Amino acid sequence: MITSYRSTSKWLAVLPVVAMLTFVVAPTLNIFIISLNFESFAILTAQTTRSVVWFTMWQAIISTILVLLFAMPIAAMTANFDFFGRRALISVISVPFILPTVVVGVAFLEILPTRIHQSAFAIIIAHIYFNFGLVVRIISSRWQQINPHLDDVARTLGASKIRLFVTVTLPLLKNSLRSAGILVFLMCFTSYGVIRILGGPARSTIETEIYFRAMQLGDVSGALVLSILQLVVVGVLILLTTQFGTTKSAELSQMVFSRIRKPQTPGQIVLITSVASISTFVVVMPLVSVVRRSILIGQKINFSIWQSIFTDEEISKSLTTSLKYAVFTIVVSTTIGLFGACSIIYGSARYRFLNLLTALPVVVSAVTLGLGLIITFDVNPIDWRGAWLMMPIAHCLVAIPIVMRIISPTIRDLPNGLRDASQTLGATTWQMWRTIDLRIIKPALMSAAAVACAVSLGEFGASSFLVRRNNETLPLMISRLLGRPGEIIQAQAYAIATLLIVACVAIIGLVDHLGTEKNR
Amino acid sequence: MSVSINKKYFKNLILGTVLLAAIASACAKGSTNTDSSTDQTQTSSQSESSDPITLTLLAYDSFTPSENIFDDFTLETGIKVEIALGGDAGELVTKASLTAGNPQGDVLWGVDNTLLSRAIDAKIFSAYKTKNINELDETVRNLVTDDEVSPVDTGDVCINYDVKWFADRKIAPPLTLRALTSANYANLLVVPSPITSSPGLAFMLATIAEFGEDGWGEYWQQLKQNGLLVVDGWNEAYYTEFSGSSGKGDRPIVVSYGSSPPAEMIYADPKPDTAPTAVAALTCYRQVEFAGVLRGTKHEREAQLLIDYLTGVKFQEDLPLTLFVYPANTNAKLPTEFLKYSLRPELPLQLDPKLIAERRTAWLDTFTNTVLR
Repeated sequence: MITSYRSTSKWLAVLPVVAMLTFVVAPTLNIFIISLNFESFAILTAQTTRSVVWFTMWQAIISTILVLLFAMPIAAMTANFDFFGRRALISVISVPFILPTVVVGVAFLEILPTRIHQSAFAIIIAHIYFNFGLVVRIISSRWQQINPHLDDVARTLGASKIRLFVTVTLPLLKNSLRSAGILVFLMCFTSYGVIRILGGPARSTIETEIYFRAMQLGDVSGALVLSILQLVVVGVLILLTTQFGTTKSAELSQMVFSRIRKPQTPGQIVLITSVASISTFVVVMPLVSVVRRSILIGQKINFSIWQSIFTDEEISKSLTTSLKYAVFTIVVSTTIGLFGACSIIYGSARYRFLNLLTALPVVVSAVTLGLGLIITFDVNPIDWRGAWLMMPIAHCLVAIPIVMRIISPTIRDLPNGLRDASQTLGATTWQMWRTIDLRIIKPALMSAAAVACAVSLGEFGASSFLVRRNNETLPLMISRLLGRPGEIIQAQAYAIATLLIVACVAIIGLVDHLGTEKNR
Repeated sequence: MSVSINKKYFKNLILGTVLLAAIASACAKGSTNTDSSTDQTQTSSQSESSDPITLTLLAYDSFTPSENIFDDFTLETGIKVEIALGGDAGELVTKASLTAGNPQGDVLWGVDNTLLSRAIDAKIFSAYKTKNINELDETVRNLVTDDEVSPVDTGDVCINYDVKWFADRKIAPPLTLRALTSANYANLLVVPSPITSSPGLAFMLATIAEFGEDGWGEYWQQLKQNGLLVVDGWNEAYYTEFSGSSGKGDRPIVVSYGSSPPAEMIYADPKPDTAPTAVAALTCYRQVEFAGVLRGTKHEREAQLLIDYLTGVKFQEDLPLTLFVYPANTNAKLPTEFLKYSLRPELPLQLDPKLIAERRTAWLDTFTNTVLR
């Protein structure tokens, strides 16, 4: 029974709670105490604030809906069929999620017709591009485990394919859909780079307003008021969505199956080929533009940048730094994320506060958190502000909420029957967890590790607010080079971006590969 | 079973949170108040130890002097220099304001004349008159009243245009700000937003200096009617929308720097015979950058030596070809390549830093309402 785990819940909660209190809650409260000025609340009544909140809200909602719709067919494909390149496809579509927006934003501008530059439309397209791979991962890892006999039963009872999907599959995917939906909504609501590059200067969201107030006007107090507003809006939305039906998705059978099979009819093969090639094409198109910019100097193809890039010390140093932080992030964020997710699910309803607590790093704006960190960790003997550790910690903070939302649906929907059986056979709680829970959540855990790795490799927002010395990651280096004049330097930035893309594909592919190997 | 235990657990948890927050804020408050006393003890303990001192130079992301430029300084003084990057100039000043008295570094490079008043009001700096003060350009030296910071370089933000585009069409390029509202140049101009970009802000200030507080709003209205494109940052304006650089965009007129033409030449491969872009001299706004010792540094004396080095001839002569700015030290020689292609307006547009600090928010509001909405 899941209740056997209940007593462990409070111990599991310790690590995530301490991490969040130390690195998110304390710095945030600290900056509120020091810099918040109650007169600043006046900006809440301003007309501009209202239109900013409205825009933030509707673009996030529309983006989320479209991301889910776009991801569904691909998730269906990868969850049901074993085809050549299936794992490669899952790896490839995860790549956009990690790419620094400074790089892909420019590539997007090049591809989209000038007519829709600086429009909400461009923002939404970019949000779909960046997030759909993540949603496919979350939904697909759950879908794979739906008992295929349910399909057979439904079909035998005369249900059409649509009816099967609506009445059987969809209810079973409920938790995954909710998890993915909340995550994407959070990403779109707090998105920053996409809004600035593709929305143009006329469109601002709460997040970009916070940045503008704090950094360009020096009005930190006003920025804090806006981040409280963001916190309240998103907090209420998370509470609403987690309050209703965090119950287990109904599952009729107690066994876990893998439903993946070879495609049988020519129709299925055509369908798979077209969905796979369309989504690959969509992912790759902006990347081609990035590569093209790395070899075009003065409109002529020139490989001189590429000849020097592998011997450049600065670049190899950044690459090493990036990889080091990625490893740190994988280990720390999956551990803390797993503890957090288990604590919420095994524990009583009270432990749901962890849902909100662990979402904080994404919800509290990067500016607020960054400023909070530099005024909190500033006392001897630990003046951590310039310490190298701050940056991988920031990466972990961003990764944890995502990791948790990837693992949670699988743990939540794990059938109790297996646990009952093992207990009847005399297994201890730990044995039971190790042989049943861990084994079943392993694919989701590996998926989460890959995404955590990706988050770390591509993290730009929070890192850019920390002081950097000798610890520049690849995205920070790219952004620095892009801000400098000269065609050669620009081409160099795009060459490094290409390197980053390749590194991401390789690492995600490797982690995915390891995950599936071990699972057999 | 565990209802009571859970309750206790939660009580402890809440208590813990409050305690942690209280400790954290107390620490932070304490640290800003007690700086003077702790600093002295730390300075004395530092001078006793024989370890070489490393200074942290905080700078904006685009601070890229030659790689070994500080070797001479280390050789002369035994002090090492570590560069720490911290975002753009606005971000640097905001962070330095929050940590004033307990700074993240020892010296800050890159406060410009649009941010100077804000930085000085926040008491970020500890005053120091550099020994090179008499070699520094007098006009920019006078912008600082109490030696809080020293001017280190100047640059100009100007209208740049694509030479070939205008030559091919036999149209005269725009030479003044006023000209930009003419129908000849409809849909040709792209500017970075003053809200998010520092050259964008400089260009807005140029129009205020030119047309006055009463006239600049109407000028932008006309620019807007003439098909102006505002984008987020300089990089996008120059490399994506502008036709004269590598991006080959659609628009032949852009807001950029007076030193953009030499940058185009120096970083081109192969090098063209003439610069592909040119500058409209009468549209330039002068940007001045400053460096200063951060108040609360544990190495005050060493930081002052670094200021002397930053304003000295050796370092100043490195600036033109690395940061594409003019040295503030009048004894520094300019490279011929730079002199040949860059344009130095004699009478650049300028505004008083105090006026900028006072009116900045209101001006940006006006800009948002006239141009962006």
